[in-house]
Amino acid sequence: MVDVSGIVSGIVEKIFAALTANMVNIPILEPLINKLLQIPLVNLVVAFILWKPAFVILFVPGLLAVTVVLLIMIWWERKLTARIQWRVGPKEVSRRTGGIIQTLADGMRYMFQEVIIHRDAHKLYFLQLPILSFIPVLLPILLIPAGTIYAIRSPYAIQIAVALTALLPIFILGIGWSANNRFAFIGTVREAFLYVAYEIPLMIAVLSMVLLYKSGDPFVIVEKQWIPGIFMNPIAFIAFLIGMVMAAGRLPFDISEADQEIAFGPFVEYSGIIFGLVMGIAYEKLYLLSLIAAILFFGGWSGPEIAFLGELSYAIWLFLKAFVLMGFIVMVRAIYGRYRLDQALKFGWSSLLTFSLIGFFISAGWVIWLG
Amino acid sequence: MEEISIEVPVEPPKEYEWYFIPVPKKFVEEAYRKDEFVVFVGPQHPGSGHMRIILRLKGDFITDVIPDPGYVHRSMEKLAEYKTYIQNIPLVERPSIMDFGNYNLGYVRAIEEALEIEVPERAKYIRTILAELSRIGTHLYDAGILAVFLGHTTGFMYPFAVREFIVEMITRITGTRITGSFIVPGGVRRDVDNDTLQKIKRMTYALENRLKKFEKIFITNPTTIARLKDVGVLSKEEAIKLGVVGPFLRACGVEYDVRKVEPYEAYDEIDWEMVVGEDGDGYTRFLVRVNEVSQSINMLRQLVDNIPEGDVISEDIVAFDRKDIRGSFFEAYGDLVLPKGEYTSITEASRGSLLFTIVSDGESTTPYRLRIVTPSWLYLKGFMESLKGERLADLQAIYGSWGYFPPEADR
Amino acid sequence: MVRIKVEKPKVHKSVALHIKAITTAFKEAISPGTITIHYPRERRKLPDNFRGLLQLDKEKCINCFRCAHICPANAIQMYQRENKYYPGIDYTKCILCHFCVDSCPTAALKPSKIHDVAFASLSTMVLPPEELAGEPEMWREDTVTVEYDFDGDLKMIKRKEVENLIVEVEKPKRPEFVAGAAFPENCIACRICVNSCPQNAITFKLQDLQTMVLEIDFEKCTGCMVCIRNCPTQTLLPFRREEVLKGGESDEQG
Repeated sequence: MVDVSGIVSGIVEKIFAALTANMVNIPILEPLINKLLQIPLVNLVVAFILWKPAFVILFVPGLLAVTVVLLIMIWWERKLTARIQWRVGPKEVSRRTGGIIQTLADGMRYMFQEVIIHRDAHKLYFLQLPILSFIPVLLPILLIPAGTIYAIRSPYAIQIAVALTALLPIFILGIGWSANNRFAFIGTVREAFLYVAYEIPLMIAVLSMVLLYKSGDPFVIVEKQWIPGIFMNPIAFIAFLIGMVMAAGRLPFDISEADQEIAFGPFVEYSGIIFGLVMGIAYEKLYLLSLIAAILFFGGWSGPEIAFLGELSYAIWLFLKAFVLMGFIVMVRAIYGRYRLDQALKFGWSSLLTFSLIGFFISAGWVIWLG
Repeated sequence: MEEISIEVPVEPPKEYEWYFIPVPKKFVEEAYRKDEFVVFVGPQHPGSGHMRIILRLKGDFITDVIPDPGYVHRSMEKLAEYKTYIQNIPLVERPSIMDFGNYNLGYVRAIEEALEIEVPERAKYIRTILAELSRIGTHLYDAGILAVFLGHTTGFMYPFAVREFIVEMITRITGTRITGSFIVPGGVRRDVDNDTLQKIKRMTYALENRLKKFEKIFITNPTTIARLKDVGVLSKEEAIKLGVVGPFLRACGVEYDVRKVEPYEAYDEIDWEMVVGEDGDGYTRFLVRVNEVSQSINMLRQLVDNIPEGDVISEDIVAFDRKDIRGSFFEAYGDLVLPKGEYTSITEASRGSLLFTIVSDGESTTPYRLRIVTPSWLYLKGFMESLKGERLADLQAIYGSWGYFPPEADR
Repeated sequence: MVRIKVEKPKVHKSVALHIKAITTAFKEAISPGTITIHYPRERRKLPDNFRGLLQLDKEKCINCFRCAHICPANAIQMYQRENKYYPGIDYTKCILCHFCVDSCPTAALKPSKIHDVAFASLSTMVLPPEELAGEPEMWREDTVTVEYDFDGDLKMIKRKEVENLIVEVEKPKRPEFVAGAAFPENCIACRICVNSCPQNAITFKLQDLQTMVLEIDFEKCTGCMVCIRNCPTQTLLPFRREEVLKGGESDEQG
């Protein structure tokens, strides 16, 4: 007779061993984790959560970080914009903290709001595309390491991550198509036009940095930054920054959403929590590009180690850098109005492309000079 | 590229007949044949206000345009026939409440012309102060709307914040934030104390200070210049032909300002300059109004400095206190009857020439006919003309640059 | 004349303008010129002549109908209370132009600084005269009063005080009037004036079969002029009280 329980427990033990071999080490939580690891079944869950590839997806820089970004960054954007505009901004929800949970309250309101699907919509795509758009958000995170916490190590990690984020507009196009609305259609066409105009300079800026470090491996990139990359190639940074603003649909280039002209373009028909999801897409993309920018230009996770956090301190540093960068980018909304589509296209194809090419040549110069 | 035209009978959609819109059948049929789009913008569209604009588009370019105003029509002229002359004062400022000073003044001047009332000097100055305050307020309001059309949120918040200063001063003078109803035949309802006058002067410096920041962040912002420069151009000849008025006429290079041509109130006693543009494009139209604000600030300072002492209510009016109408309002205006005839006043309101015509039968306390011709209505045609040949995305920018205000046009 | 001609900015100038805009935003982010008032907790100081909700002092009201007649929005309706009429206001119609306040000869209708009101339903917006006196039921959260002042820039003076929203108004400068029969030969003894007088100051007496005597008690007369407006033959006219008292008698025959 086969000992079924023996085989199962053997497999479980093997899985457990495999998970614990690659676990995130956080000294401050060590006693608690050790205690949890003693309990059967719970130890499996804990081990899985702390397994590095899972940790990357679930916590930093994955889902939890994305949620924090969505909740805090939107509040911060509103608060900062309000400050510049001589207002106060969100205040009444939790007045003592300056309304920091306002976004959470809005999100809860979205949860209880009816999701209206209009007659003309392509129901299937209309509902699933906003949820599917999490794929190109979460896939690049697998390739973005935070110090020793990483899922996949590849010499082409940065290139693949940027290529995957470039998939997001495809989902927006799909959303606009499935909404089957005039404004959504116009917005989708605008997005399609802009897509090429910003994606090429953005890619060139990334590639010029990859050329500078001679590798697309984030570990090599961070190691090679004896000074932050922004000082090595400021032109590429500017090209990347503007491309990032365009890619995230921030204000001088939020042409595809243009609420005064075409009422949020592709997203015009959404309501309820689905609207919350589609409005999050731009922030998620901004977050991803900020992470890449932090690695390429700001020395990634390098920073003084915080002892009690152990491996988590690298992740915290990376997250903080990306967060600060995002904090500045959301401010652009308070400074600029909106360009027209043809002006943005002209800018993207001429000035921005030239800028990124100059950045490329500077990188090439560095490579030749340093040998 | 070769034009494609299909010679097949095209039936415009049936819905167009239900919409009850002023679109000739030929307009739609032609568009269908020429591979053009007919696009309805408004009246609930976020960028058009309470007005529908019917566009014919070739690709992204506007080839023809038909306005469909009247969504906020309140039959003001007919309502005025059922109210006494004095009861019409709150009514006539309703077309454009942020511009109440000029609207009020225009109507009251028509009455004064009929009754041949001599207005005391001090009252004239106070009226001019009110008119200029509301002019600044209206220009700031329009600038804010323009900014929000361009998606510039700071450009929207700054003028509205600064407008709060104006509103504060208007509150101190009239007792209410926008609907003043303060100017009455023969003067103003109440004297303004010296404290408030000095505060107005102090306010102008604060206003200038804040507007400098607004200039840096919005007026000379490259995105603003890019969106408005050479957009919606109206030539001088066209502007004259289409009867454009006010700052928009001056932006096209015509030197015409009612305050200079036929000075009323205290405008000929103070030193100020007419602002004239040259290009007639959206940016010039905006800049003319920006410069008018600084002229108005200059005017306010002079008015405060030179204001004479004296009564504020005319000797020709039955009033027991010449500094304050309270207690004698009914005796003074309760049964005002205008002599038989037709009386017209032309005023330079913020957005252009404002015409009030009162026809009186000489017997009743209500006007036989009150004609209000508002500036927005007058330049609607020029506005539509300037849209032709522009991009669809520029519709909002041009709309904002004209400062078109549907309640004002529809009355 | 100010002439405006703008050239399209060159590239270097355009960059300078970009930088100017960005630095302005940064400056404002660091030291903002916030003008917001945290409204329910702070309240803007309003001038005494502020045109808020109306207050009625029933004692002073002389039942003259002036407010109801002048109202441009037809918001004032007179309510009968013990042989007298008092104004009640329909706030669904009222536009707060305060023509009624300016018309009131005795300052019975007074302005107040109350402007932020909410009514439970449309029917409660029609206020009879009894509800016009005193501060309405209010839920005041404010502890700070903010005054706008200007000193090169906006200066917000914050005082820890609660503003009294009820304004005391003096009686307007105005001579007192009484009604007198100016043209007694016109009188047709229709007695409209007798019936319309809220003070019962006018009486008719039958002297003999041919003549009636119209008597006006000047002590009772408040000068509301209702009788003058109602008189179909323009027998009555207003006179200044001091003149009449000097002149003495004014009983006339009709």
